[in-house]
Amino acid sequence: MKMQLFSLCIFASTACAFDIDDALDRLDSTLTISGFENNFRARLSGTVDLEYYNFQQPAPGLIDSQIDNLFNPRLTLFLDAQAGSQVYFFAQARLDRGFDPSDHGAEVRLDEYALRITPWKDGRFTLQVGQFATVVGNWVPRHLPWDNPFISAPLVYENVTAIEDKYAPPSPFYFIYAPYFQGKYSFNPLIWGPSYASGISISGQLGRFDYAVEMKNASLSSRPESWYITENGFQNPTFSSRIGFRPNEAWNFGFSGSEGPYLRSEADSALPPGRSISDYREFVLGQDISFAWHHLQLWAEFYEGRFEVPNVGNADTFAYYIEAKYKFTPQFFGAVRWNQQLFSTINDGYGRKGNWSPDLGRIDVAATYRLTTHAQLKVQYSFQHETTAPGQDNHLLATQFTVRF
Amino acid sequence: MGRQRLLWLSAILSVIPASLFAGAAVEGHVDLPKSRSAPVQAKRYEVVTKAGVLSTQPPLAVVYLEGNFPRPASLPTKQVEQKDLTFVPALLPIEVGTKVQFPNLDDQYHNIFSYSPAKRFDLGRYRPEERPIPSVMFDRPGLVTLRCDIHEHMRGLILVLSTPYFAMTDTAGHFRLDKLPAGRHTLKAWIDSRTTREKSVDLKDGQTLQVDLP
Repeated sequence: MKMQLFSLCIFASTACAFDIDDALDRLDSTLTISGFENNFRARLSGTVDLEYYNFQQPAPGLIDSQIDNLFNPRLTLFLDAQAGSQVYFFAQARLDRGFDPSDHGAEVRLDEYALRITPWKDGRFTLQVGQFATVVGNWVPRHLPWDNPFISAPLVYENVTAIEDKYAPPSPFYFIYAPYFQGKYSFNPLIWGPSYASGISISGQLGRFDYAVEMKNASLSSRPESWYITENGFQNPTFSSRIGFRPNEAWNFGFSGSEGPYLRSEADSALPPGRSISDYREFVLGQDISFAWHHLQLWAEFYEGRFEVPNVGNADTFAYYIEAKYKFTPQFFGAVRWNQQLFSTINDGYGRKGNWSPDLGRIDVAATYRLTTHAQLKVQYSFQHETTAPGQDNHLLATQFTVRF
Repeated sequence: MGRQRLLWLSAILSVIPASLFAGAAVEGHVDLPKSRSAPVQAKRYEVVTKAGVLSTQPPLAVVYLEGNFPRPASLPTKQVEQKDLTFVPALLPIEVGTKVQFPNLDDQYHNIFSYSPAKRFDLGRYRPEERPIPSVMFDRPGLVTLRCDIHEHMRGLILVLSTPYFAMTDTAGHFRLDKLPAGRHTLKAWIDSRTTREKSVDLKDGQTLQVDLP
């Protein structure tokens, strides 16, 4: 591990000392092609991320590792292509140790691909088909390492709850207490990262309002394996939407909603007689707001979620975060984020009430230095505190070095 | 009497600016590189997509006369606009000490910045109505690469020169520099960040020199 850390430092300082900007700009030109009098154009780009995490067990968020020090390298490739003015295609492929940071072996995945048709120039209507990020909320546009001022996602996108998508709990008692005795990767957050599920969406702009509606093959809480059309068809679709209002360039308000079954087919055998997985749904309502002015950016999202749980009933949760980023110099910016998630209480079947997952709060603080226009170094510290469970506080220290080309 | 006339002529000539004389001129041709591929805008996570293809600005060169020339007391303010998600013009030559304004003519935020050694700055996010128009004074010679923190594909260049004698070529590579001081100088053509061509020239008042920079 020390050797890996050393390599990370060497890589960072080498990139800093050597002005890679010009070389990477030339690479960008080389990886951009066009034809048919510029009516067809395509660009291959990407990022190399070297991440190092130090944390306490159990690992926070969606980090899947039994060791406290995790080195997580990732290569991401993007393809953006445009045919004429109305057809756009993009794809994202990754080589890493899993969609979420883990100590597993290397794997290659096609995480996103989509074809977008925009018939009118004014942007009133866009049709998109493929596997792509959800339209819900305002975090998705900045979830990639270069745009995200933090290394981790907001709490609501990575905090695993007592919800299991592959198994139906036999009783409320099991539902409340089983998570303490099982591997956390069996469970789901309210929204799993950017939710790259497969499906179709329409979106557009009407004056100061914008809209987006999507039909996907998996719910917002679904794990990455459920996003692929080869794994999960459209028998139980999820419908999501967002309406945005932008009074001016500085402010943006959004209202989101999502509804769909969240259980996978593996849970079918454990359901009560006569019930199917389509009877158990996830409902999410979201409100988001963002503000930007000069060197300051603010974001906040608020989510109210409900899971219909077999043999238990409704399990409700409320999660929110408030995030601020400020650019102190052209190359240095800092960010702070306060996250909280609260859970309703349910009767455990023995006369006692308990939260169906522990309430918790987390503060994230991060600093980023842009070494060049193609390389940046990020450091994050997070402190998480559970308020309604015996779980210990958790400290996370993470660094991320990114080269963009 | 003849000597008195000569003195009068000398006095009159001394108060007429040298620029009123024809001075020297250089014209010629620079071989320009082939047109670059047009940029591709990444629109992966944009809910609102407006149809449109980014314009392609053909390669141009900047031709200038190198040397130590007196600097004027003040220089006119220049502009680089952000229009249709591109910098217009994409290449702007200026003299050291010139102030450049960056008006936003789009209906969305832009965030212009540069990490170039000749000028590091970040104007932050600003709207089209922002007043005063965000501006930067360029006080060191060199190449400044302009980028937008919001729109990754946007690139612009400002070439800050120590000389007042410069001109842009047209898209065919033709150029003309007028009112140049007589004498031996070096004529340079800036093509891109890695390519600058040069030739020695001997300029004489009233003459137009033909110089090609292949």
